[in-house]
Amino acid sequence: MTPLREAVVLPAIFLTVTLLGGFRMAADVRLLPPSLSALVLGLLLMGTLTRGGVLVPQVFLHGGRTALENVSGAVVLVTAFTASAQAINLVLPERGLLHAAFAVLLFCQFMTLNATGAGRTGLLRSLLVLLGALFVLRYIVVEALYAPDGGLLSRMLRALMAGVTLGGIEYQANAPLTGYVAFLVIVLYVVGLLLLQPDGTRALTRTHRTVETLPARVDTRP
Amino acid sequence: MVRTAGLLLAIGYSAVIVWLYASQPQTSAEAIGGLAASVGAYRVDARAFDDGLTFFRDDKFDEARLAFDRADPARRDARTQFYVAYSYYRQGWGRFYNDDALFTRGLEAVNRAIDVAPGRRLVVDDETLGMRSADELKAELERGLRRELSDLDPRRVFETRK
Repeated sequence: MTPLREAVVLPAIFLTVTLLGGFRMAADVRLLPPSLSALVLGLLLMGTLTRGGVLVPQVFLHGGRTALENVSGAVVLVTAFTASAQAINLVLPERGLLHAAFAVLLFCQFMTLNATGAGRTGLLRSLLVLLGALFVLRYIVVEALYAPDGGLLSRMLRALMAGVTLGGIEYQANAPLTGYVAFLVIVLYVVGLLLLQPDGTRALTRTHRTVETLPARVDTRP
Repeated sequence: MVRTAGLLLAIGYSAVIVWLYASQPQTSAEAIGGLAASVGAYRVDARAFDDGLTFFRDDKFDEARLAFDRADPARRDARTQFYVAYSYYRQGWGRFYNDDALFTRGLEAVNRAIDVAPGRRLVVDDETLGMRSADELKAELERGLRRELSDLDPRRVFETRK
């Protein structure tokens, strides 16, 4: 890994994710620090990334490096953790039953990813799908349901859900800008994870095929 | 060299993030002004402030606040925020009852003034004001918002606006 990528590019990406991960815009602008559940899930995600080989701590911290190089590596690890916590904070609704449901879902998914041992490529793909799905669920489905200008159907659904859960579901709708920023943050976070690769490995490609290794096409024409 | 620069960049960026999360600015003007104030580079627009003061003394409070907002867009100047709070007090004050909404906004403004004042102490040297310290103004606004039995005292109508 080049010093520029390790010392400048990765911290800049992860700190931007940390900054924008808490951005919410409704009637006012709020910057939400990660909730406790987001911090715990962020720690779990760091463990998952390490087990899957996406994050290799030995690349950033070991005895053969100078003190400055180790400090630089530690900055990458710390910022990767804060970015992970904020990326999770981004897809978790802030409070209520929805927060708990999303948190439990993420916990189960991370445990599953840990257990399957999917490897670097599989883990990155799974994480991309997981974050993408939660983004769609929260910023498209739930936001549409709780939009202040929603129609009769959405009001009926909200009332039904509130009744079924005895008022356990509460959600504050955000302005559309929040969704766009959230999309950017998730893309940046995934780009940051891709750039964590040690030298010599590829990001999302399982095998490197050349023309010679491809199976020959059989001509079945008469 | 690259690592040192990266480290400094990360420390600076982290400090900005912590500051933004702690101060929760609502507009870009507040964010930029707050950052400028933290390094001592924030300046109030003196001309807009003078305009606001003129409107304030003519009891044109809405106009005064527009000018004060122009003078101090980041809401980082204690004296300007004090006048904003005072304008809410004077506009909301009534012989029979006070306007709670205006008093509440006045209280928010005087709290902002106290927060950014050095040592949280603010005294304005203005002969035309009945209350010259932020503490007096805050207490008066809080008194106005409180529901008390003395609110029914008929002698209240003889009180004067400060």
